[in-house]
Amino acid sequence: MEVSQKLIDDLAPKKFGRKGVIWTISLIIISIAGIIAYIDQVIKGQVVTNMNDYALWGIYISNFVFFVATSFVGAVTVAVLRLTNNSWRTPVVRIAEIISLASIIMAGLTIMIDMGRPDRLLYLFIHGRMQSPIIWDVIIIPTYIVICFLLLYFPLLPDLAILKNHFSKTNPKLSKWYGKLSLNWTGSEQQKKIQIKSIHIIAILIIPAGFILQTVDAWLFSTLFRVGWDSTNLGAYFISGASVAGVGALVTVVYVIRRTNKLEEYITDYHFDKLGKFLVLTCLIYLYFNINEYVIPEFTSKKEEISHLNHLYSGQYAPLFWFVIIGGLIIPVIVLLFKKGRKPLPMFYVGLLVVIGSWWKRFLIVTPTLLQPFLPIQGVPESWHHYFPSFHEWIITFATLAMALLIITFLVRYLPVIPIQRTADEQEETEISKSKISKTVKP
Amino acid sequence: MLIVFGSQKSYAQSTEKNTIRLKADYFKIMNGDVYFDIKASSKIDKETVDVPNIEIFISNEIEDEEIDLGTITTNMKGECRFTLKNLNLIKQDSTNTYNINFTFKGNSNFKKASKSVSFKDAIIIADLIKKDSLNFIKATLIDVSTNTPLSDRLLNVQVQRLFRPLRIGPEFNTTDENGTIIVSIIDEIPGVNGILTFEVVLKDSDDYGTVKSMVKAPIGIPIVDESTFDKRTMWSPRNKTPYLLLIFPNLLILTLWGLIIYLIINLYKISKSKFKNHENN
Repeated sequence: MEVSQKLIDDLAPKKFGRKGVIWTISLIIISIAGIIAYIDQVIKGQVVTNMNDYALWGIYISNFVFFVATSFVGAVTVAVLRLTNNSWRTPVVRIAEIISLASIIMAGLTIMIDMGRPDRLLYLFIHGRMQSPIIWDVIIIPTYIVICFLLLYFPLLPDLAILKNHFSKTNPKLSKWYGKLSLNWTGSEQQKKIQIKSIHIIAILIIPAGFILQTVDAWLFSTLFRVGWDSTNLGAYFISGASVAGVGALVTVVYVIRRTNKLEEYITDYHFDKLGKFLVLTCLIYLYFNINEYVIPEFTSKKEEISHLNHLYSGQYAPLFWFVIIGGLIIPVIVLLFKKGRKPLPMFYVGLLVVIGSWWKRFLIVTPTLLQPFLPIQGVPESWHHYFPSFHEWIITFATLAMALLIITFLVRYLPVIPIQRTADEQEETEISKSKISKTVKP
Repeated sequence: MLIVFGSQKSYAQSTEKNTIRLKADYFKIMNGDVYFDIKASSKIDKETVDVPNIEIFISNEIEDEEIDLGTITTNMKGECRFTLKNLNLIKQDSTNTYNINFTFKGNSNFKKASKSVSFKDAIIIADLIKKDSLNFIKATLIDVSTNTPLSDRLLNVQVQRLFRPLRIGPEFNTTDENGTIIVSIIDEIPGVNGILTFEVVLKDSDDYGTVKSMVKAPIGIPIVDESTFDKRTMWSPRNKTPYLLLIFPNLLILTLWGLIIYLIINLYKISKSKFKNHENN
């Protein structure tokens, strides 16, 4: 159908205002600081980190797991909502696709940061053993990056063609780029047929790919026989946790984009209400898995496992543990159970709380277990029993988070965050059904 | 001038060479190799250190003649092994003694050094014998050049094990006038498939070096070898990946990437279908 000029004007990407420019520059500065710190780490070695013989994985791996988890939002919202025909998804799916792509790209980069010898990255491919979960990760991450890219790109084609025409006079250079990226889209029946078929395939494909990604990530830990990780539950636990992190991130980003791009007309309270219910569902499932992971083993496990659990309940990581459980899961569930809690602003705060909780949750998955050595050594330095990231680690980690936000910012700047063609199609369908109803009522 | 003299002095200090100490031991395995284990060390700053990567020349000395046998280079531990296929490759002197010289010719860091090893050829004939349903190892030590048994010599009897041999019998087994020892074998020694490898060893003899004879006998308690070495396991090398882990993930990879390639082809089809429409129009 014809797309109205108002719709295009509303949804076409716009230049950033002053706040947008400051935001982008800030992210670039943090990213550059991280790159400098990383170069220093490569030159001096990982001695600049606070990792030691016990905590041999640190904040980099927790951050990697967080990115992998957040990238699951593409599979959860886009694919699942598409396959279950939930039409309310339209204004939020592209944002979910963008978050997925940005997160999985940064997951791939973050795991490399953790490598002591990044120059040997190629060895993983040349000498890798199929028995190692690390190799499964090396295989699935690039695969998932490609799938996320295709998931974003296929539905974009009609919108890119619209933007090509929209910017033909005001910004010919940009229009030329949109034209190239739209792959000569004319909206012909043949093109639509191929596009719809392809989107359907990706929507199905991303679900097993997402599940494999999260499960492989869980198996990185559970195949190591360590307390806190040695669980047959861990794959499902990671998938449910990823849903929470992903939907939490989606809620937060949707709110910010809605405000900055003035999209209140398109992303309404109704959408936040639906997202809120979706977030409650994911939080409750994750809470259920947490009960399985933390409550039952307290009564049934061996000494080491119980000692690890007590370490979390009342040891040095207890404040963080209870913040993650209460702040990151229980409070969001309580707030979102009320209709007022599912309004945009409360949802933003809840989403932010969930994202922060999810990040620290990954830290809690990685670090306390490592501090409980598989084979205890006598007379180890006291410092080995503790881990807190060094300045380099913090700067690099903040930089990776900034880079993820930078990718999102860049894509939001140049792509329509709400599908233009699809919104137009839906508006037309609504008009037709309204007129049908009025005709049936009149006689 | 000071600079010139100073630099010459420091050069002289830096070129002061260290002394190398060579140690060489002779070993003979019955029905096997004959070899020399050589070790090079040096005392530097009151500390004994191994000397790696030096070339050692080996020669056979017969009266006034010296026959080159070859060269060998020490490893990072300062050790090397020179193997002869058999003793016929070297010659004895008039006293039926083999004289082998090990020479390091020196380099910029170390002075030249040499070591001589002299030995006579001896053999151990070992057998498993059974008396009154008891098992014994019987071994006879013979000087090859005179073909006479060697008496009053200490022989060790032991069972081969993975890390260090298990000694059996009395602590000292001295050969009798026939050059023979008889050692009873204790029951219930476990072995892979019940096979035990007994070793009879003349150790570090001044005259004959180290001579070792081995006897394999199926008299142990069979144990099942539970080693997963060379089997397809999660911890084996990449060429021994379990079939399931080869087939299942590769099938998944092929399926996922097959669909991805199909989708990329679809992108190409979309970009080309515009022209088809135009042609149709």
